[in-house]
Amino acid sequence: MVSPCAIGGRVDSPGKKAMTLTPEKSSESVPAQRRHGMRVRERDGELTPVDVHRVLAAVERWVTGLDEVDPLRVATRTVSGLYDGATSDELDRLAVQTAAELIGEEPQYSKLAARLLIDLVGRQVREQGATTFSESVALGHEQGLIGDDTLAFVLRHRSELDAAVDVTNDLRFEYFGVRTVADRYLLKHPVNRTPIETPQYWLLRVACGLSGNPAEAVAFYRLIASLAYLPSSPTLFNSGTRHTQMSSCFLVDSPKDELDSIYERYHQVAKLSKFSGGIGIAWSRVRGRGALIRGTNGKSNGIVPFLKTLDAGVAAVNQGGRRKGAACVYLEPWHPDIEEFLELRDNTGEESRRTHNLNLANWIPDEFMRRVEADADWSLIDPSDAPELPDLFGPAFDEAYRAAEKKAVKTVKARDLYGRMMRTLAQTGNGWMTFKDRSNALSNQTGAPGNTIHLSNLCTEILEVNSDDETAVCNLGSINLGAHTTAGGVDWEKLRATVRTAVVFLDRVIDLNYYPSAQAATSNPRWRPVGLGLMGLQDAFFTLRLPFDSPRARELSTRVQEEILLTALETSAGLAERFGPHPAFPETRAAHGDLHPDLWGAQVTQTARWAGVKARIAAHGLRNSLLVAIAPTATIASIAGCYECIEPQVSNLFKRETMSGEFLQINTYLVRELKARGLWTARIREAIRRAEGSVQGIAELPADLKELFRTAWELPQRALIDLAAARAPFIDQSQSLNLFLAAPTIGKLSSMYLHAWKSGLKTSYYLRSRPATRIQQATVAVAPAVAPIPALTAAEACSLENPESCEACQ
Amino acid sequence: MLLDPGMDLTLRPMKYPHFFDRFKDAIKNTWTVDEVDLHADLADLARLTPAEQHLVSRLVAFFATGDTIVANNLVLNLYQHVNSPEGRLYLSRQLFEEAVHVQFYLNLLDTYVPDSDERAAAFAAVDNIPSIARKAEFCFTWIDSVFDLRRLETKADRRAFLLNVICFAACIEGLFFYGAFAYVYFLRSRGVLQGLASGTNWVFRDESMHMAFAFDVVDQVRAEEPDLFDAEMERQVRDMLAEAVECEVQFAEDLLEQGVSGLSPGDMREYLQHVADRRLQVLGIEPMYGSRNPFAFMELQDVQELSNFFERRVSAYQVGVTGSVTFDDDF
Repeated sequence: MVSPCAIGGRVDSPGKKAMTLTPEKSSESVPAQRRHGMRVRERDGELTPVDVHRVLAAVERWVTGLDEVDPLRVATRTVSGLYDGATSDELDRLAVQTAAELIGEEPQYSKLAARLLIDLVGRQVREQGATTFSESVALGHEQGLIGDDTLAFVLRHRSELDAAVDVTNDLRFEYFGVRTVADRYLLKHPVNRTPIETPQYWLLRVACGLSGNPAEAVAFYRLIASLAYLPSSPTLFNSGTRHTQMSSCFLVDSPKDELDSIYERYHQVAKLSKFSGGIGIAWSRVRGRGALIRGTNGKSNGIVPFLKTLDAGVAAVNQGGRRKGAACVYLEPWHPDIEEFLELRDNTGEESRRTHNLNLANWIPDEFMRRVEADADWSLIDPSDAPELPDLFGPAFDEAYRAAEKKAVKTVKARDLYGRMMRTLAQTGNGWMTFKDRSNALSNQTGAPGNTIHLSNLCTEILEVNSDDETAVCNLGSINLGAHTTAGGVDWEKLRATVRTAVVFLDRVIDLNYYPSAQAATSNPRWRPVGLGLMGLQDAFFTLRLPFDSPRARELSTRVQEEILLTALETSAGLAERFGPHPAFPETRAAHGDLHPDLWGAQVTQTARWAGVKARIAAHGLRNSLLVAIAPTATIASIAGCYECIEPQVSNLFKRETMSGEFLQINTYLVRELKARGLWTARIREAIRRAEGSVQGIAELPADLKELFRTAWELPQRALIDLAAARAPFIDQSQSLNLFLAAPTIGKLSSMYLHAWKSGLKTSYYLRSRPATRIQQATVAVAPAVAPIPALTAAEACSLENPESCEACQ
Repeated sequence: MLLDPGMDLTLRPMKYPHFFDRFKDAIKNTWTVDEVDLHADLADLARLTPAEQHLVSRLVAFFATGDTIVANNLVLNLYQHVNSPEGRLYLSRQLFEEAVHVQFYLNLLDTYVPDSDERAAAFAAVDNIPSIARKAEFCFTWIDSVFDLRRLETKADRRAFLLNVICFAACIEGLFFYGAFAYVYFLRSRGVLQGLASGTNWVFRDESMHMAFAFDVVDQVRAEEPDLFDAEMERQVRDMLAEAVECEVQFAEDLLEQGVSGLSPGDMREYLQHVADRRLQVLGIEPMYGSRNPFAFMELQDVQELSNFFERRVSAYQVGVTGSVTFDDDF
């Protein structure tokens, strides 16, 4: 249906330049449609008149299947935004932008904008001399970007691979996805900065970088090009390149309580950051402010100045221009500097004690939560007085902590400190609540004494043991559940097939990976952990019309997760049968016959398959110590055009702000329902915009649809936690669980996080809230002549209707 | 009444609690210049076309002095005559915000314009750049129009003061700044100058509140003294807005003179007329132009933002949080 040709739609013939939106130079008389002498500068410098009809014809080539778009509108608006003497490139880009700007009215313009952009990119790639996949890879190698092995592989199987490129896959992309891909994922020429690969070449290159033979490469390419599964960003960035750093996450243990170790960590963090990794780093072993330094007989300045240095280091490392470095620091709440730690992200106070680039997380032992509940005291203890605390969890920690309390630096009320944590969450969204004891007790990796999980990662979904000389690493990828769901339900066979392929390719990354630090290179081959995640859960719920907080939604999400973990275990057991178990297998709980649902004491539904996989693991072990983790998928969900991981929609209408610009995102499921009812009108669109993406005030919408299309702000957060807790037995690492409160209070937060802890969740992630005031809306109608607000009399001034202002009765 | 001359010091019982609420809301949105990272903008600036660079340099030159002018009018005129302690609390807060804006744009110029002579020239834009000078002249005229009034005794005094309030809300913050807003949003929708965009986003969030407060004051006075709003006043407001639109259009012609694709001077005029119509509607006056907003990228600013935290600093968090630890609140 769509040919791989330029926007003009004509198949390129030899000797004829690819047609662009730019009109061809012609000796014909200037058509009447041209707008007051508007001209475009061609690549050769010549000025030619703009012809709306030609622009129209170019747009019309790309509207197949898009019955709601109006090509004439795009063409005329494009021409009207042009200035005399604009370049042909500007005209092409403006056409893309113009189509994109109509998405708010009609979501199909997203696909049109995507196709126009892909066409533009394709032309840029051809202009650099790459007209096939293998030419693109060769060019990339010539420019020092593609690795030798990948080049050799591609050249060896050139014809087969070139023939595998299927541009009909391009039709699946939405505009935001393609824009993201074009700006950040496609390899660019090092000098002229234009892309040297098309979206399809890119995906095939990623597949080739992970494959041993062409059949395997083509099969994996087909899977990812279908957008049913995507590897994580570092794999999408770096597979097949010279620096094959394909892991997303690194978990660095706390530096030891000495200067050399601290500076070694800075170095390690910089190296890990450079090649796209997100960093979690603990800091609980470093002594607090005022502790004695024996070497100099001085007193320590505590951890804050060191974290300030880390902050600057993280900001300095730019991940190849694709995103800023990012790190999260974990601290246990018994550390004497915990209160200053919680202020690191405040936007007031002394700048030398603020770290605007670091994320912060609390690594909380159960003992702390118990004392919060009991309204008891809490002791702050210097790690130089109790160096064993970071390595202990469960009853052993409780005992050591209680024994160390007599050396406490300071005693606070546990609730006061908990309140401070809640305040930090509300004010900065940071200071994530992650639970040390659950994380350790329910991990496959802590089956032998001495193995401790010291922290989670940047996004709180990875939980892996590490130590001073082992930095934990994880490779991620996520299944798009939306692409496995139809109105009839989940396609379980397809889901199983996707999991099998995904696990094999995640496992392979471990061997092909480039490890930026020695500590990471030591850890990963021993444990071989991977993190298979999920995205598009909300898409599946919308498709099946399940309200997010309904029992059926919870049941489906749990069954999907069981299917994923079970199939992943089966696949990993199969890999172990062929290649042997991972070397640390004897240290795992699986080696003792305990799989993750057993640790939870959870009910499984597919009992026969669970029994089968247990028998296989007992015989041959597992290739991977950990298999499932639900990452936030912010960027890859954009590429796949689905909702992020396990999250509810944040709004029916919102914008994404990224390094590529701003993008309007509209709930296409809602639009479909509204259209079917004849309600997709300018008036309703404005009502939705006025309500910032809520549909609760639209009288014409039936109650069941209002219920279905609630936003994250409108859902009870208890339901999000309960869904997470129900699927947790089938996630052997953890999940990036965001919570949403439009106007948080300490009371709501303290209740919510206590419930999260009691539900047995290992970790939680951002607290999202909304600004107290906002920019005045510019494009919704002004409320008709404002009714004057009468001045209140003295009696009215203490009315209960103004409780915020009135303290008379308090 | 709100404009009665004097120095009301009594907060209880509170006469204008909605002013006090605005004061408290504003505090929740405290931000500081240190939070804005302008560093990445430098690479973008180098990549812009000469026409876009011209646009940015003119825009920044306008910002260099715009907020200072508003702050001056606040101190010299508004604070004096809005005789409500809760209203003055809000104005004090607004003054602080204007100061933060001035600091932000100072920081921006210091970062964007490393050459000290060029920097001095940018700050002198009100004298040297005709398109900016004309806007400044418009502002000064309206500051001066009430500068000598010490007490608003007569109806005429009060009308003159209201015109000053309306000028700063509808024309300066509501049109000049909204014009600037459109350029920044245009750039942002194309993914360049993130630092400028995030700082300006916060500036505009504050400015929206300033404008809303000023319109509250106007509404309040109208409720208390409806006879101040006569046909003559309406005519003056229309003339004032029409002049403001012309000032801003000539500024747009200067900014866009080298041609920026996707932002034509004709569309800009239509946008400004559209904004002016909205200001009239808020004041209960018939729109003059009947123009529509031609910029789809402006629609983006009316919807919730969702940042990918790897890429952008999230601007949505609240500063003031209340309550104490409990375990049985609903969530």
